[in-house]
Amino acid sequence: MKKALSEFKKHVMTGISFMIPVVVAGGILQAIGVAVYGTGISQMEGETLMWYVWKCGNLGMSLVVPVICAAIAYSIADRPAIAPGLILGFVCTYINAGFIGGIAAAFLVGYFILLLKKYLKVPKAMQGLMPVLIIPLLSTLVCGFLFFTVLGKPIAALIAAIVEALTNMQGGSKFTLGAILGALCGVDFGGPMSKTASTFANGLLVDGVAGPEAVKLVCCMVPSVGLAISALLGRKKYTRVERDSIKSAFVMGICMITEGCIPLAMNDPLRVIGSSVIATTITGGVTYALGIENYVTAGGWFIIPLSNKPLLMAAMVLMGGVIMGVILTLWKKPVKDEDETGGIDIEGAADVEITLENL
Amino acid sequence: MKIVGVSACSAGIAHTYIVQEKLEQAAKAMGHACKIETQGSIGVENQLTAEEIAAADAVLLAVDIKVNGMERFKGKPTVKVSTEVATKNPVGLLKSLEKALAEKKQ
Repeated sequence: MKKALSEFKKHVMTGISFMIPVVVAGGILQAIGVAVYGTGISQMEGETLMWYVWKCGNLGMSLVVPVICAAIAYSIADRPAIAPGLILGFVCTYINAGFIGGIAAAFLVGYFILLLKKYLKVPKAMQGLMPVLIIPLLSTLVCGFLFFTVLGKPIAALIAAIVEALTNMQGGSKFTLGAILGALCGVDFGGPMSKTASTFANGLLVDGVAGPEAVKLVCCMVPSVGLAISALLGRKKYTRVERDSIKSAFVMGICMITEGCIPLAMNDPLRVIGSSVIATTITGGVTYALGIENYVTAGGWFIIPLSNKPLLMAAMVLMGGVIMGVILTLWKKPVKDEDETGGIDIEGAADVEITLENL
Repeated sequence: MKIVGVSACSAGIAHTYIVQEKLEQAAKAMGHACKIETQGSIGVENQLTAEEIAAADAVLLAVDIKVNGMERFKGKPTVKVSTEVATKNPVGLLKSLEKALAEKKQ
């Protein structure tokens, strides 16, 4: 069970790793167009050169589901799964089964191809036809047909229901959703929890809801700002090495790479993670409740101007940073002399459970 | 002990390289030779050569996603962990690897 879950995660993560650059390039170009001319840009073909920029982004975004679908299928069944995965992804876009549909389709395609590889025996002379003709044709036919007729509709209905529920959400429930998303982003600085929140937000973005994305962006930027503020407020509470790490964490944070905070969190998990979660929970809730949206999935401070409410969004990052910085500074203990030495502790390291196998 | 390995995380921009640094530092402190190939979103860096792989006692994979070039490690004693494990406790990981290899030899 545990193995199956980690396999599942590996496939989805592979998909996401291929998808991210597409979303970033597409999302940013689209957002630039919208930032200059508003949403009316879609109707401005021939009127402005900016339309080309927007359209590149727009076409890029339409590739997101095909790419994640193909990449997950590739992770499961290797190269022959790429072509059917791309096509199935387009089927999902076409029937509005979106992001979730794309992931489901990828698993269907991937495992279907694994079955074909295992059970479909062809004469040796025809083996060359397997990857170029038989597998792509059969898997696209069967899976595509299944998605159009049976599987696609319930998924499309589910997506429509989620999108509607989110769009109709008001005040308190908006705050709660934002707070949960925010907390997930603040708890492990780019680790599995953050990636879960991120996947949720990216998925909704692909389906046209951009509020959760703004929550994700803001709350991923909060921890590095919070640490920097805390280091300014309480210099004596950090070792020299830690202050150096905070500097690089801050610079990484500008680009929305939260992982720079991890070394600090590992030195003092309770206080660093605690203050971070408190700050991102509050900030996430407020960000979503204020209706801040962003159509870009990554880019840190540089994409704040592309939000629908850039000033508010910047204020949210600062607010979260101040909350975390103040709490952390008050909570943290001053550094003792022996903390300064640091280094790698070889004796004290706990064993890790591993299995050694010959490939 | 000579170790070669691959690190790859889902975004391919941060953990991949943190793991490389942590493992190489830990290995150095423990007196092992260690080279970790990174398969980030920029592509493969610090690529392992066929000689290095042939000379290695063990292969250490700290990966969250599908990585390329697995066929290179055919027949090698291999350990696979998540990037999280390798970031949190690189020394413990190497110690456990040492133990597992020693047990295997007996």
